Amino acid sequence: MEFVAAHDLDEALAAKAEQPDAELLAGGTDLMVEVNLVHHRPKQVVSLRRIGELREVSSTRIGAGVTWSRLERGDHRGLAEAARTVGSPQIRAAGTIGGNVGTASPAGDGLPWIAAADAAIEVRSKARGTRVVPWRDFFVGVKRTSLERDEIITAVVVPDDIPEAQEFAKVGARNAMVISTVSCLVMRGDDGFRIALGSVAPTPIRATAAEGMLNAEAKITEAALDEVARVVSEEVRPITDHRSTEAYRRHAAGVLARRLVERSLR
Amino acid sequence: MPDPVDPRRFAVVGHNEPKVDAYALVTGKPVFAGDASSDGALHIAFLASTHAHARITSIDTSRAEALDGVSLVLTHENTPATMYTTAGQGFPEPSPYDTRMFNPTVRFVGERVAAVAAETPEIARAATKLIDVAYETLPAVLSIDEALAPDAPIIHGEDEATGIHDAARNIVSVVDVDIGDVEAGIAGSAVAVDTTCETQYAQHVPIEPHVVRAYLDNDGRLVLLTSTQVPFHVRRIVARVLDLPVHRIRVIKPRVGGGFGVKQEILLEDVTGLVTLRTGRPAVAELSRPEEFVSSRTRHPMRVRVRLGATDDGTLRAVAMDVISNTGAYGSHGLTVMSNAGSKTLPLYNRAPDVRYRGRTVYTNLPVGGAYRGYGATQGYFALETAMDELAVKLDMDPVEVRRRNHIRVGETSPIFAAIGEGKPGVEQTVGSCELERCLDIGVEEIGWADKRGARRRDGPWVHGVGMSIHMQGSGIADVDMGAATIKMNDDGSFNLLIGATDLGTGSDTILGQIAAEVLGVPLAKIVVYSSDTDMTPFDVGAYASSTTYVSGNAVRRAAEQARAQITAVASAMLEEDAGGISLRGEAAIGASGNRVTLEEIALRSLYGSDQEQIGATASFVGDESPPPFLASFAEVAVDTETGQVRVVDYVAVADCGVAINPHAAEGQVEGAIANGIGYALTEEMLISGHGRVRNPTLFDYKIPAAPDLPRIRAILVDSYEPTGPMGAKSVAEIGINAPIPTIANAIYDAVGVRLRNSPFTAERVLAALDAVASED
Repeated sequence: MEFVAAHDLDEALAAKAEQPDAELLAGGTDLMVEVNLVHHRPKQVVSLRRIGELREVSSTRIGAGVTWSRLERGDHRGLAEAARTVGSPQIRAAGTIGGNVGTASPAGDGLPWIAAADAAIEVRSKARGTRVVPWRDFFVGVKRTSLERDEIITAVVVPDDIPEAQEFAKVGARNAMVISTVSCLVMRGDDGFRIALGSVAPTPIRATAAEGMLNAEAKITEAALDEVARVVSEEVRPITDHRSTEAYRRHAAGVLARRLVERSLR
Repeated sequence: MPDPVDPRRFAVVGHNEPKVDAYALVTGKPVFAGDASSDGALHIAFLASTHAHARITSIDTSRAEALDGVSLVLTHENTPATMYTTAGQGFPEPSPYDTRMFNPTVRFVGERVAAVAAETPEIARAATKLIDVAYETLPAVLSIDEALAPDAPIIHGEDEATGIHDAARNIVSVVDVDIGDVEAGIAGSAVAVDTTCETQYAQHVPIEPHVVRAYLDNDGRLVLLTSTQVPFHVRRIVARVLDLPVHRIRVIKPRVGGGFGVKQEILLEDVTGLVTLRTGRPAVAELSRPEEFVSSRTRHPMRVRVRLGATDDGTLRAVAMDVISNTGAYGSHGLTVMSNAGSKTLPLYNRAPDVRYRGRTVYTNLPVGGAYRGYGATQGYFALETAMDELAVKLDMDPVEVRRRNHIRVGETSPIFAAIGEGKPGVEQTVGSCELERCLDIGVEEIGWADKRGARRRDGPWVHGVGMSIHMQGSGIADVDMGAATIKMNDDGSFNLLIGATDLGTGSDTILGQIAAEVLGVPLAKIVVYSSDTDMTPFDVGAYASSTTYVSGNAVRRAAEQARAQITAVASAMLEEDAGGISLRGEAAIGASGNRVTLEEIALRSLYGSDQEQIGATASFVGDESPPPFLASFAEVAVDTETGQVRVVDYVAVADCGVAINPHAAEGQVEGAIANGIGYALTEEMLISGHGRVRNPTLFDYKIPAAPDLPRIRAILVDSYEPTGPMGAKSVAEIGINAPIPTIANAIYDAVGVRLRNSPFTAERVLAALDAVASED
């Protein structure tokens, strides 16, 4: 295995330009699982861990190399809540938001927040420089993104007007180190409610029908909350697998959305 | 029977001595079988069946054998056809001889079809993919109901198998017991309950999987360094399978990273040993985690129906239990696990004059059952303690009070003790110690029963409830299990304690050392414990059936008492005092006069001085009875009524294990067993596809509880003294795992009024139960 420990982004981009099939290694919490569990043997690995600029954070830009344990203590409340549910302390100390975005698992714990925030993914290549891709265009399927082979995810770009009221919850088989069965993130701002969900479709999704319904209400009544649960359950597109059933995921998605909308009103 | 001794007068027993192996373990010494140098060793990998039921019509290993680095390929065509059982039980094993090293018919997905020995694990794995197997698939049986259907495919039709009750009907074993007339008893009862519970496939998940290293010693004898619970059974069974005299095999058990029953099984030692015998080279086999899940052993899933009849004051008049146990493709522990579902549960409620037990063990084309902590009692208690809770509800009585009115007490017996044994009748016994009343008192207080029961406290969507259950187990298999110990004295007044008993991380080396130290009047540091080596230590059946403290502990006590008698005889000559007045304390023999002589002086005299003789003794013990430990279990749960999620908020387990030889170690057993049981109650389940394939054979998808999933588990030991136990001790290792399933199920009922009768209680199942109740209303 060829291993490049890049010291800065240019070095990493050069390596990736030369070897577009090289695997990127940040926290290693996804890649090493592939290596250990599926005996995946990448031919080339480019390590991003030493690149300081990927670890920079501002309120509108989160470097791809920022770990969950930093996000747990960060300013974005919903993201911090989501970060707290990731893996174990060891995994949170290693795993990064860029890795979560790059892996693009439907169950990625950070992704509903990105969707609710209407954030974009900043990517860079040696050949074409930087481009910023809206999250809807970035996540295209189960573990599939529009990242080009020679590109590296450099940051999550956050609009500066996202609501401060943010709530996250997930349902899983147990509390610790669990892949979520359903996850949900709700934001409430001046422009209304945003509801994003994970593990209920190939990509993170927004419950746009439920948002539209809620945002048309003058006052959020119990009946409106019940309607949110019903509409969310209908508009998600979950599957049945060994972790849960389609029916349970639909139900739990509605429950979580209703619960978080209610919580955001307090 | 020794006189009861006030445990507070013990000098070493009853104290929290650090484990004798703790330092080596925490400093990372190479103490496990997998730590042994594998320089020059061949590595073994297995090819597993992808069919649930199929006959192998041809197997071509030539491409695998041609691969560079491959030394040997084993299949049914070049290995012994001897029929045996993999169950590591006493001889003759009460499990059918229904397997051979490699079977020409495969009976579950994951059954080994071939083994490759190669220079590296990677080559061995790659070579397994080059083995060409042609199968003729056979109809598969994938559930209890399919196994018992009138025209079910026959899973063990082979002529060679022995010990199967009715192979043509897929029935491995049958136990029928009738005491009185249970139908009349139920019919004549004021209140009756009829409940059926089903348990799931679960795996033990020891941190260390099965691992064996085989090599030849300088005399050409086969040495097996293996992570086993049963070194002496390994030696005997491997000798039989490989047609080797027992004296040509040495089995050594090093430190073990957890067993929980799954290592009471001979799974890798035969193949690893055969590779070494055929090649003359050391060989290593280690199961991967998926293999550990699929191809080793599991807990027998059971369907258990319990019917109770009681008077309107809550006194039981009749108890009927009907058990169907699924042993999977092979009958390992099939009879005995099913038997224990009744024998370790029914005596608890000995008030009922009419008792009936019906047990059937059936074959299916599914993963193989085996020994697992609790050993059938766990499955039996789910239904029995659910039924007792239902009875309390019907009577509008406190569930604690219903238990108080019916549980067995000191001086009492149950006809079940004699009626159900393990492959032969059990033994009559009278309970000599039982502090269940005290356990219940403490549990009620600690959990806050009076305030919380029926209160249904709400916390948003979470509703709280409390539940409870009571339990007993045994201490070894009476009249079957033997343990032996040897003690010898050294120059400095220290002792070697050589025991066949098998420490799996349980702390048995430590507590057996404490028993010897107590008798000999020395600190634990003066007892050098060496265990589980068939060349060096006396026989012991091994670590299972909650036997070690009681059976091996009594053997140690006897050996130490015999050594003590020899020491006092020497001291008597040295002190010129009557031996009867001499006691051993503080590493010295002290006469009635108060004159003393140190153990070192005694040792030097007996080794070098006059009348030289090695001070030492070997003693054995077989239980005439199997004294039950008792447990009262209480939990508070919170149920999310909207998502169905269940959280265990608080857990109190109060145990009567007699005198705890090492209280911290005993509490650890209770805490560990409760945690183990919480996983079994809430999350752990092997999911099986419609083709018999395990869908979640990894720790990603099979969820054992981690620290954030567990409540504070309060393990409380009550003062108790078992007259027949060593220093008053009984067992404690298994009993705790029986509790969480019924305790949590009963707590869920208290919280939200639904009965969960299929474990585990996943959010999906709880929600479905809530919906079902809602739609009834």
